Amino acid sequence: MTQGILIKNAYVIDPLSGIRGEIMDIAIRDGRIVEDALPGSEVIDAGGCLTLPGGIDSHSHVCGTKVNFGRYMSPEDMRAGRTSRKGVMHVTSGYSVPTTFGNSYRYSTMGYTTVLEGAMAPLEARHTHEEFTATPHQDMLANTLFDGNWSVMEAVREKDVKRAAAIVAWTLAAVKGFAIKLTNPGGTEAWGWGKDVSHIHDPVPYFEVTPAEIISTMIQANEILRLPHSVHLHCNNLGVPGNFRTTLETMDLAPPAGGDRQTLYLTHVQFHSYGGTTWRDISSKSEEIARSLNSKPQVVIDMGQIMFGRTTTMTADGPMEFKLYMLHHNKWSNHDVELETGSGIIPVYYSRKSLVNCVMWAIGLELALLAKNPWQCLLSTDNPNGAPFVKYPEIIALLMSRRMRENEREEIDPRTEHYVPLFALDRELDWYDIAVMTRAGQAKAMGITRIGKGHLSPGAQADVAIYPLKPDNLDPSVDYQQVMAGFSRTLYTIKRGRVVARDGDVVVEGANSTIWTRSRVPPEYDMGSDPEFTRKFDQYYTVRLRNYPVQDVYLPRGVCIETEAAL
Amino acid sequence: MRVILKTRPRKKPHVPIEAEGIIPQNFLRKNDLTVYEGNRERNLEDLFFVTVEGPAVSPDQVEIILTGDTGRIKRVGEYMNAGRIIIEGDIGMHCGNFMSAGEIIIRGNADAWLGREMRGGRILCEGTAGDYCGAGYRGEKRGMRGGTIEVMGNAGDFVAEYLSGGEVIIHGNCGDLPGVEMRGGTLVIGGNCSRPCGNMTGGTCMVIGDPGELLPSFRRNGSTEVEFGGKKFRMAVFRGDVANRGKGTLLVKEEAIISRSGRDERL
Repeated sequence: MTQGILIKNAYVIDPLSGIRGEIMDIAIRDGRIVEDALPGSEVIDAGGCLTLPGGIDSHSHVCGTKVNFGRYMSPEDMRAGRTSRKGVMHVTSGYSVPTTFGNSYRYSTMGYTTVLEGAMAPLEARHTHEEFTATPHQDMLANTLFDGNWSVMEAVREKDVKRAAAIVAWTLAAVKGFAIKLTNPGGTEAWGWGKDVSHIHDPVPYFEVTPAEIISTMIQANEILRLPHSVHLHCNNLGVPGNFRTTLETMDLAPPAGGDRQTLYLTHVQFHSYGGTTWRDISSKSEEIARSLNSKPQVVIDMGQIMFGRTTTMTADGPMEFKLYMLHHNKWSNHDVELETGSGIIPVYYSRKSLVNCVMWAIGLELALLAKNPWQCLLSTDNPNGAPFVKYPEIIALLMSRRMRENEREEIDPRTEHYVPLFALDRELDWYDIAVMTRAGQAKAMGITRIGKGHLSPGAQADVAIYPLKPDNLDPSVDYQQVMAGFSRTLYTIKRGRVVARDGDVVVEGANSTIWTRSRVPPEYDMGSDPEFTRKFDQYYTVRLRNYPVQDVYLPRGVCIETEAAL
Repeated sequence: MRVILKTRPRKKPHVPIEAEGIIPQNFLRKNDLTVYEGNRERNLEDLFFVTVEGPAVSPDQVEIILTGDTGRIKRVGEYMNAGRIIIEGDIGMHCGNFMSAGEIIIRGNADAWLGREMRGGRILCEGTAGDYCGAGYRGEKRGMRGGTIEVMGNAGDFVAEYLSGGEVIIHGNCGDLPGVEMRGGTLVIGGNCSRPCGNMTGGTCMVIGDPGELLPSFRRNGSTEVEFGGKKFRMAVFRGDVANRGKGTLLVKEEAIISRSGRDERL
């Protein structure tokens, strides 16, 4: 590694450094980008190919108990995607919920070097961290679920923001989590009583707090703790026709940003942009959502695009999965996590013949095309809920080519165009937009630029993806097939200064790190010695407080981002 | 063309052989077939004495005869689409997976998963069959879709699970839950079984022997007369599984129900 790498003739787009497509050289030494290469460095001639910072997925479900349950309730999924052992590569199998190595290799060959696991139940953190170490080619981060946390909801009821912040600080440090995730806040807890919340001012049974109060309090707590990422929110009413009103109301809760990042991150917004009243008259409300987004720089969303085909949906949103089960009558799993959250999983098939699915497909694309600022709408499928992440190149091609969208229009339900504005949109995203939506935007929204993620300026982590695409002599609106093929398979994926994948094959055993956050709080806010908090564990949890924190041995290469809480 | 495959003696006869290559269409041309013994890839000749008699121009003229210690050979006849395979002894698991046409005759017993996800053709097993005969794959929502499986002896549990087409005939007894999750096709059980057709949504199942206590989610729907093995039987007709909004038909011998409860409570 000390030898270093020199990438020559690279067509670089590095939005965070303001580079919009220049032919330049990149020098790498000791896992970092440097000004000048050491003599004798390994030289990679990029030959004018597109070179970007390593890809970052800001919302994906790849590790943890929920994903694993998806694996064992769908053994038929393992019939697809089988690859045999090859060099250092392990055997892999599975399509929508592949083995951990399958996830890791497929991400790596697409140029992704950092992945955020979208929802980790704190109680089940050990399992998540174990799977992180078996996803060796991506640095991993874990969003930690607080949507139905009893202690947090009690603090919200008492209007005690500082206590809520202290609980978050203790829990994140205990489970080595990265950020606050709220999944259908209050709704999953209500589901424990056989109910759901229908709008953001609907009180949660027993706790008598509303989703709006939970969201607002957690945003404040997040800012008090100065966490790198904002609150990461999966809104209420996912997948309910007419839910765009809930989403708009939720966006209004985001206070103006003080720093350089958003105060609220809304995930898989496609699932939250439906008009109509039933599945029969569902329509796209992406224009309303995008209008609100364009006027609120403090909000960042990701698409949650669906793509046609088979996949598995999994979320901590238990009641929503039950509604889906009532539609499909296929397999269904439901799970309760003690005092914290829950989850549900069902396999689905998104069909071009289903009008509802076609409308959903269009909404995701519309959000990306209607958002004026690519930094505010990031590319995701909520893997594997909308589609497995291997579909990203196809989504990129759809966004870059109107012609491809028109071709797809011929294939889908012909009634779709009456319900969606997609086919009236001429916009075609360019390479810069795509670079923002797949890495730079994520790094900025997650607040990990400071540890050298998402850019290529000297000092940054040497995560680089070189794609076999020459932007100078390629018109993405016509050659979308090439764009798709190019983004599916890098020429080189370099992670921390090492070539990890070449031409679709992973070439080294990986060694990833897990990034987590710790906020230093004054001793009086240390929940580890709070009698009421301890009593919760003694009385209700299956584990005692002292056994709850994840030991360091679960994070062989942990990277801690420390912040000073303003408590 | 007749291909005779006689097993060679093996040092470790319990190690399974995965032989999905043994299908008639593969023997038309002289090629180097390989099979797996455990995790080792072997030439067909390493494990079998291969004798080929006569020519063939199409796969339906090919007849494969497997003899010797064949009870640990798996996946014989997988994706077979023509011709005939005759197995002189027992056969291992997954015989006739995905088979779409042709014929497999097993003189001995078959292990589990006989004719899994079969699409067409015919399998005749003269001995007994294991569990999951004519079933689907784990987790999959559709099992066998066409063709015929006939077992002269008994069969194990979960016979014709997720059956969605074709016909499965078991002359002997079945184990637990035959026809579970059935959605089409026909299942005939000559002997006894227990808890037939749980969660069925379509298709027809007929139990000539004692079905044990029927699941409570089947609704009586008249009587009929059927013929099986040259004899006529008076059958009670049930519809179900109502717990699954099913529209399947379950035929059970009238006497079996009356003898169990003393009277027919469901009438």
